[in-house]
Amino acid sequence: MTDQDTHPEDEEIILAELDDSELVEQMHEDLYDGLKEEIVEGTSILLARDWPADKVLNEALVEGMRIVGIDFRDGILFVPEVLLAANAMKGGMELLRPLLSETGVKPIGKMVIGTVKGDIHDIGKNLVGMMLEGAGFEVFDIGINNSVEDYFEALEKHQPDILGMSALLTTTMPYMKVVIDEMVKQGIRDDYIVLVGGAPLNEEFGRAVGADAYCRDAAQAADVAPAMVRARQAGG
Amino acid sequence: MSISPRNRSDSARSNRDETSARRGRRRGTARQQRAGARESTAWIERKIPHFDVLDSEALELIEHNAEVVLEEIGVEFREFPRALALWKEAGAEVDGERVRFPRGLCRSLVQATAPKEFRQHARNPGRSTIIGGDRAVLVPAYGPPFVHDLDKGRRYATLDDFRNFVKLACMSPGLHHSGGTVCEPVDVPVNKRHFDMVYSHVRYSDKPFMGSVTHPERAGDSVAMAKIVFGDDFVANNAVLINLINANSPLTFDATMLGAATVYAENHQATIISPFLLAGAMSPVTIAGTLTQILAEALAGMAYVQLVKPGAPVVFGSFAAAVSMRSGAPTFGTPEPSLILYGAAQLARRLGVPFRSGGGLCAAKIPDAQAAYEAANTLQTSALAGVNFMLHTAGWLEGGLAMGYEKFVMDADQADMLAVLLDGVDLSENAQALDALREVGPGAHFLGAAHTLANFESAFYRSSVADSNSYEQWRQDGSLDAARRANVIWKQMLRDYEAPPLDPAIDEALLEFMRRRKSEFEDRDY
Repeated sequence: MTDQDTHPEDEEIILAELDDSELVEQMHEDLYDGLKEEIVEGTSILLARDWPADKVLNEALVEGMRIVGIDFRDGILFVPEVLLAANAMKGGMELLRPLLSETGVKPIGKMVIGTVKGDIHDIGKNLVGMMLEGAGFEVFDIGINNSVEDYFEALEKHQPDILGMSALLTTTMPYMKVVIDEMVKQGIRDDYIVLVGGAPLNEEFGRAVGADAYCRDAAQAADVAPAMVRARQAGG
Repeated sequence: MSISPRNRSDSARSNRDETSARRGRRRGTARQQRAGARESTAWIERKIPHFDVLDSEALELIEHNAEVVLEEIGVEFREFPRALALWKEAGAEVDGERVRFPRGLCRSLVQATAPKEFRQHARNPGRSTIIGGDRAVLVPAYGPPFVHDLDKGRRYATLDDFRNFVKLACMSPGLHHSGGTVCEPVDVPVNKRHFDMVYSHVRYSDKPFMGSVTHPERAGDSVAMAKIVFGDDFVANNAVLINLINANSPLTFDATMLGAATVYAENHQATIISPFLLAGAMSPVTIAGTLTQILAEALAGMAYVQLVKPGAPVVFGSFAAAVSMRSGAPTFGTPEPSLILYGAAQLARRLGVPFRSGGGLCAAKIPDAQAAYEAANTLQTSALAGVNFMLHTAGWLEGGLAMGYEKFVMDADQADMLAVLLDGVDLSENAQALDALREVGPGAHFLGAAHTLANFESAFYRSSVADSNSYEQWRQDGSLDAARRANVIWKQMLRDYEAPPLDPAIDEALLEFMRRRKSEFEDRDY
């Protein structure tokens, strides 16, 4: 049934010997396989070949993670593999980020994400953060148990496109409304896209608290976030 | 798109080299593997204890009472003089067709010569199985005249349906056996069905299968066809057929069953002697009374087989359901038959023969919640009790009146789970996972831990039927319930089915045998 024990001898691939399009394709595959060192190496090779940082980001990394996202959504890749892929992507991003800001290229989007006050659950929130990083976002994770003040401080500091709030408990999820109401009160609600998520939420709850969207899982968040940022940029 | 695996010597990857090589190959070729395909095995090797409901005092009491039944009341062997003659010779008291057995006679006959376990050969040696001991062999349902699916509803089964279920069983890794009358092909004349059924098992599957028992001559035809497949000498010395011999309970064996049992025993083929009890109608309404009758009937039947041919493989069978005292209808998945099943398994183990029982039994008409929970109750019970030959594992609906396509897929998923359950707890160093606990520590998560990455693919059972997605995802996928998901699965399985290779000479010989035999007598519907 399995062919795993009968594969031919592994063959050596030297990344630097590949032409640009072969290398980009290989990087998609290395991302898929979660090979961080290879992604870092591939990123530096492309940069050395005078690729602009945003082209490396979009064509090699974001496109590779898009494939990962599709197979995750379809149940082909599993959570630990996606984390590994996101981690490999992060390796490439560490090289690109200073160059991107130097050249004034903006990331696809920026997001502040955190679990609401009274709630210390963060695994789902971490997955969303990883997936969005994979989608090319700059993610500022402010951890768990965040008060209105914590969120506002982070918004002020990082000026994100998106505020993401997470809760696992029915007793903590209403705090999302507290945060959003305060944003309205201070006249900054419309400066941000607000995404909410967590097991006890649903779309209706998201609407009721005044969020822009409810994301049921990390894969969907990685679909929704860039789409909403693009729509906002187009509209604004 | 194929991906060349890479073989670099950097140390960061060294502990993942093997995984990486596999992952690299996955995208192009292994999607199906990822869809939850399981490795096929020829049986389940049990690694957890049995669940026992009777202590030794209770078992001795039931064994004693069964001997009282055999000695005082006796068992009828109807319209089969040869059995009466053999019993007389063995020292039993024969009064008309009633046979009364000196205390301990049946037990000593069985224990003297019946094998504790035996191999049933398949035409594919890799699928030859062993029945008995700490093994479980899971087998499709047997006997339904109707089939049911969501598209066409309930209707009489045909030979096409029969072939379909043989194919589905062939493709189900959790089923180790092709079964027998997986449904009754009523479009074929009664006296010629057995040819097509045996042929279908050989042609469309390479798993072991069951022979016909509806007439001694049909048992003989089954043996003859097996000889074409396996060779005369091989069949003379090895079990290649296992055959279901029901007692006509209470305390009766009829000529049809005795005739078939005799043919198979003479040919060294295996028989399952099965008291078929709907408690309250065919046995007392109590658990202890029913167990007593089961043991008495099984002992008498298995001992008879040993008289015909000492050493012929026999299985202690038990099919026990409870009859609704309100309507008379058989009920399934209820606690009393579970207690009977546990107890009967213990009695069989003490006797020292393989045990058949269980399955995905239910009274539900359609693959609904009742079907699922009644079946799950019986399947779990069968697994924990230590059933060796689990007939009716997949497909059973409506008290055995209907073979369900969707139900088959749902049960086959359960069958896969039983294999994992019976495999017990891995206590290897890797399974102890101290490294993972050290790596992650308090407050973080294990999803990205090295230990998780090395183990996640095989860590947990992945159901092929169950939907564990979010509500929104489930809605987006069409809001399908389990039966409708199963409907998609069996259709896909039949589309994907590939017949296991069969020597064309054997195929031709079988077809020729059938042509000749079918032309030797008129079609009859009895």
